[in-house]
Amino acid sequence: MTKYITSERLPELWARLADRGPLYLPVNEGTAVAFRAWEEGKEVNLEAVNSTVSPKEIFLPAWETYLKFERAGKKLALAPADANGLARPVTAFGLRPCDLRAIELLDLVFVEQDPPDELYTRRRKNTTIVALACSQPDPFCFCTAFGIEPTDAPGADVLAWKTGNRLFMEARTPRGEDWLEENSRLLQEAEGVEKPPPVESADFGLALEGLPENLKGRFEDPIWDQIYRSCLGCGICTYICPTCYCFDIQDYGHQEQGERFRCWDSCQFSHYTLTAGGNNPRPTRKERVRNRFLHKLQFYPERYEEFGCVGCGRCLRSCPVGIDMVSVIRALGGETVAR
Amino acid sequence: MAERRINNMEKIRTAVAQDLLSGRIDLLLGWEKGLYWWQSRPLFARNSEDLQRLTWDSFCVANLSGYLQEELKENKKIGILLKGCDSRALNRLVQDQMVDRERVVAYGLPCPGLLDPRLLKQEAGLELTALGIEEGEDRVTLTGTKGKSIAREELLLEKCRRCHHPDPVGCDQLLLPPVGSREDRSRFHQVTRLEEIPAEERFAYWSSQFERCLRCYACREACPCCSCRECFVEQEEPRWLGKAHENSENFIYHLTRAFHSAGRCVECGECQRVCPVELPLMELSSKIIKDINELYGEYQAGLDTEQDPPLLTYQPDDPAAFVE
Repeated sequence: MTKYITSERLPELWARLADRGPLYLPVNEGTAVAFRAWEEGKEVNLEAVNSTVSPKEIFLPAWETYLKFERAGKKLALAPADANGLARPVTAFGLRPCDLRAIELLDLVFVEQDPPDELYTRRRKNTTIVALACSQPDPFCFCTAFGIEPTDAPGADVLAWKTGNRLFMEARTPRGEDWLEENSRLLQEAEGVEKPPPVESADFGLALEGLPENLKGRFEDPIWDQIYRSCLGCGICTYICPTCYCFDIQDYGHQEQGERFRCWDSCQFSHYTLTAGGNNPRPTRKERVRNRFLHKLQFYPERYEEFGCVGCGRCLRSCPVGIDMVSVIRALGGETVAR
Repeated sequence: MAERRINNMEKIRTAVAQDLLSGRIDLLLGWEKGLYWWQSRPLFARNSEDLQRLTWDSFCVANLSGYLQEELKENKKIGILLKGCDSRALNRLVQDQMVDRERVVAYGLPCPGLLDPRLLKQEAGLELTALGIEEGEDRVTLTGTKGKSIAREELLLEKCRRCHHPDPVGCDQLLLPPVGSREDRSRFHQVTRLEEIPAEERFAYWSSQFERCLRCYACREACPCCSCRECFVEQEEPRWLGKAHENSENFIYHLTRAFHSAGRCVECGECQRVCPVELPLMELSSKIIKDINELYGEYQAGLDTEQDPPLLTYQPDDPAAFVE
């Protein structure tokens, strides 16, 4: 089933979708772009490739409450979190193919485990994903190096793409069909067979075959001494990354009353691996930087037979000192094309 | 012009090569090209091969002085390339006794102001990959367009457009001719604008900004003033700051950091430049600098190391209207 809507009518669609439940989509915030719950006045940006911060926060918010506790005398009352609006169906609109692939990689960690992570899984099951095909890769994009097709998103409920003034939407799952049906009042039937227009590939000439095997035994490779040097030790790369998922669990409040919450954490922070007694198995930026890249390029493939990077290019754009996935893969020897 | 740039590069390389290869310095902190022509990144050069990659161009934005504290643990003597703002950062670190000046060879690079790739893209209306630039004395020509030429001043990074002292101070040598001071530039126009807004609206403005903070601490890590061995953020007993990315916590983080660097901020603008969600962090520091200037007289941190820092001195007649 393929339908379309013209650009002028999109605000009507946003209003209708937001009425049904939270609608997350890319909006402008100054010169940055982030996925936010739509409300009147938000400036939607369907052109940005890619959003400054990845849409993983729809499923893994920067922080969320696990449970609330309150002490009355000797009794401690526990109440589970209401999990922020999980009662209503959510629409996630405008995820790019790389971002959706990243969500599938997060599923391996949070859903396909025993037991699965409850909050993540509930959000995931409750959300209809409308992916948006890319019409022009950004200079920092290299998704095709990871076998991602910029105009296709196999895991989406609906695939959308722009052709001129029209935003086409094709249902890919039964849930996607229902979703299109629910909104059919605003949509028009596509005449003939429509397909997303092809786009150039983006891969920076990276050759990734055999890289995970090659990295085995290179834990002490002196190249890491060069790679990490200029790292500032901030958490930009991990927080904007669509596949980084580490979190911390802490309490907020005091002994009588409070909340237990989880929040993003970063393997680039000194306290990430600090243990009681003061030992830190990753004492310097070297071990932390090495961990981040080996996690994406070796540990993820070993555990899940998939790379832990989707080539979204955010670290290429935002690392203030140019330590990014492409530069590091090149330094490790994973490229075919000399530039 | 291109020729002059190549000559400049040779001058710089020759000067630092002498010191690095003779062993006067063990390490040179400079820049090299990144993935694209509009990106330059820090270079840690130890030999002549590394020096081949050394670059000085309009994108050498990172302030390298922040690396000194850590690198001096492993190196006896370090050479460092410094723009005007970077040199003030080094001076400030020396004044704070965080860096031993005797173990640093400071090479000053008078700075014409660095270009903002986003403005280049905006002006050209083209993706940067389809674009190139030719830099003249005061103008930049965008190649790839129909030869569009724009005043350099209009293409500068935000942090450079407010810079009064592009010439490095307190360096061991200047590698290029001075460019002269730029006190004609407006340092405080953004702050003045914010000051004029009613308090409630101003609070709403900062709320909406801090709400977007990722708490990645890039502003802290890039800041040459943030030289504490342990930041209050990491202190657990007592815990000053909760880890929840909640707006009240975000406020505490940013305001504490701004006040902690009061009187020490050298206005290198790195906090704002590195912020991935582009929070206007320099406005916090600018406000404090403006207040210090108004209360205690003009002061720019790192400019004159003989001048007493106003917040580290006390005089019985210091103005105290804010506590009365």
